[in-house]
Amino acid sequence: MGVLIELAELQDSASKAFPASGLMPDRAQAWQTVTELGFLMVDLPEDLGGLGLPREAAAAIAFELGKGLCTAPLASALLALRAIAGAEGFAKRAEWIERIVGGEYVPLNLLPGGIVVGADGALTGTVSGLFEADMASHVLIGAGGAYRLVPTAGPGITLTERPLWDSSRRLFDLELTGVSGSVVIADGAAAAALHDEIARSAHLLVAADSLGGANAALDLTIEYLKVRKQFDRPLAMFQALKHRCADLKIAVVTSEALIWARAHDADTAPVVDLGAMKGLATDTYRLVTEEAIQLHGGIGLTEEYPIHHYMKRAMLNLQLCGSLDHWRAATGRAALETYS
Amino acid sequence: MTDQALLDSLRAQVRTWLAANAPEGWRDIAVHSEFADSQRQWFAKLVKAGYAIPHWPAEWQGGGRSLAEQKVIYEELARADCPRLLLSFVSSYHAASTFFECGTEEQKARYLPRILDGETWCQGFSEPGAGSDLAAIRTKAERRGDSYVVNGQKIWSTMAQYADKCLLLVRTSSDGPKQAGITFLLMDMNAPGVSVRPISQIQGDEEFAEIFLDNVVIPVSERVGEEGKGWAVAQATLSSERGLTLLELSNRMKGALCRVAELIRKHSHEGDAGVMRDFGQLVTQVDAACAIADRFLENRIAGIERPGDASIVKNTYSRALRAYSALGVRLGGIDEQYRAPITFGDLNTGNWMADFMNSYAWTIAGGTEEVQRNIIAERMLEMPREPKGWVF
Repeated sequence: MGVLIELAELQDSASKAFPASGLMPDRAQAWQTVTELGFLMVDLPEDLGGLGLPREAAAAIAFELGKGLCTAPLASALLALRAIAGAEGFAKRAEWIERIVGGEYVPLNLLPGGIVVGADGALTGTVSGLFEADMASHVLIGAGGAYRLVPTAGPGITLTERPLWDSSRRLFDLELTGVSGSVVIADGAAAAALHDEIARSAHLLVAADSLGGANAALDLTIEYLKVRKQFDRPLAMFQALKHRCADLKIAVVTSEALIWARAHDADTAPVVDLGAMKGLATDTYRLVTEEAIQLHGGIGLTEEYPIHHYMKRAMLNLQLCGSLDHWRAATGRAALETYS
Repeated sequence: MTDQALLDSLRAQVRTWLAANAPEGWRDIAVHSEFADSQRQWFAKLVKAGYAIPHWPAEWQGGGRSLAEQKVIYEELARADCPRLLLSFVSSYHAASTFFECGTEEQKARYLPRILDGETWCQGFSEPGAGSDLAAIRTKAERRGDSYVVNGQKIWSTMAQYADKCLLLVRTSSDGPKQAGITFLLMDMNAPGVSVRPISQIQGDEEFAEIFLDNVVIPVSERVGEEGKGWAVAQATLSSERGLTLLELSNRMKGALCRVAELIRKHSHEGDAGVMRDFGQLVTQVDAACAIADRFLENRIAGIERPGDASIVKNTYSRALRAYSALGVRLGGIDEQYRAPITFGDLNTGNWMADFMNSYAWTIAGGTEEVQRNIIAERMLEMPREPKGWVF
């Protein structure tokens, strides 16, 4: 019961600090709010100074922040923090947790990278999928069967922004050329276990962001249909449009039911179940925003009207943490095993 | 004991009982009347064990169960692959709920015990001219002394050919709004003037029937509620099913994913990435249907159901069922186009063409998918209704 109350309070404070109406808040301010409200600490274990709440808590916050297309990189930071907290053999674990909780931004990459570890241990290659990495002192990446902290500046290190269609976020590539001195936080079996542990949360956070956004985009669309008149009546009165909105609502509510069911069992669920759930949630976001622009008509094509921002974020989310096609096929193969 | 411990103990008790008593061989019954007999036997067994009417009030043996307890029983019935309770469904849910909510003491005393003894009811609501627009019924009842004389036609009445009694909606007045002239009667299916014709369906089943009424005499004492107030009674009838059926059916469909897996292996599609993606998509769609059915029931238990929620659950299930059977038809190849005998009591039989055709029952019956969309749009999304008499 105590946990439930804390969860509801957190969600409430998230929606107050980041109302859906305050679309794409200033990034620096948003990041400050995220750290000040303690959102990074929610699922950090209590003995490491966190609140020790279940995974739903972080997902519930991401859901609220997704409604307003939050510019602060909550998921990337939470995932790196979770990895460090889970790296029990890492000597400087406590120090890094303190730094991150205190506001130092360290992201985990959400797209696959191609880093080669040389015989001398030096790293070469490009890491993609680093959100807002220009704010970061270090990034956390997986390379050579280990998780490593790598600084964002120094000899052989180039950070390059890759301009996005998504106007609510900024994405960077980190190019490494013979970079030595990265800090290994976990390797071998520990790194493999850590991968699954982080993957579970990654899917939940991306899915939650997507469904928060899908809700907001659908609300905006229905609001518009109620106000916009053609043929002397609101568009919302036309059955053809009502039915499309109803279908979108069904998709959103059903995806939400699955995400919260999976969030509840996330600690023990196979990663593929969470990947499948993320696939459904991101595809729902895609469907809702794709339809939302069409339902807005001409105004949906204008830069000024906000609905396009949701579509762009949805399309990017679809590519994070493994594609929809990847997870569908993986789900099919896993089910073939289950039902053998 | 805590609530959870009570539920766990009930679950263990039901599971143990089912291990010894769950019917076998019911999937192999090929004659519809034999299936009806097997349904009677299974219902009687459940009544005796105290699991048939968990939703009835506590003074009834086996009644007084909370929605959470009912959920446990349904989950276990689905898990043990028992046949669904089709023949007794209208009796134990629709008829019972009508009596509990609107019946006289005399009607309750007469009919409720008989339901437990196996008397079966059917529903005489829809008509050829009144489907989605149910209030447009035209079957006419004229008052003559202490009786009504009824003439008209009913349709889509599930298993009416086996029913003893009928919940009948009739028109007693044509004045005022169409809902106002409707009256709710209880009809004896063996009364003179009642004839039943099973409807041959596209998959060869005869689950529905037409009922023809030719000067059928029904005593006034067999009326539920006042004359002209039958529409409100009908709402009580239809609200009796509390979301348990869709939870049961979703979980059955999840269990039946093994049939798709079998098909994939039979046709050696394991290495086909496209097939794996389609199967994976279906698995997630079915999982989501289970999750929404479960959440809906939990919300009902918690008293936080919203208008339109039930429509979302129904459409989610029925779309998943269509997708499930359509994938089976596709993956089954030409084999599925050779006609195979149908069986009864299950929507996921692995006779893919029959299952596919059966899936329409869920997108059409009990309020079509399109009517559900209207409900979601108007009651949940608060989009405005069309003006009356709007010709476009």
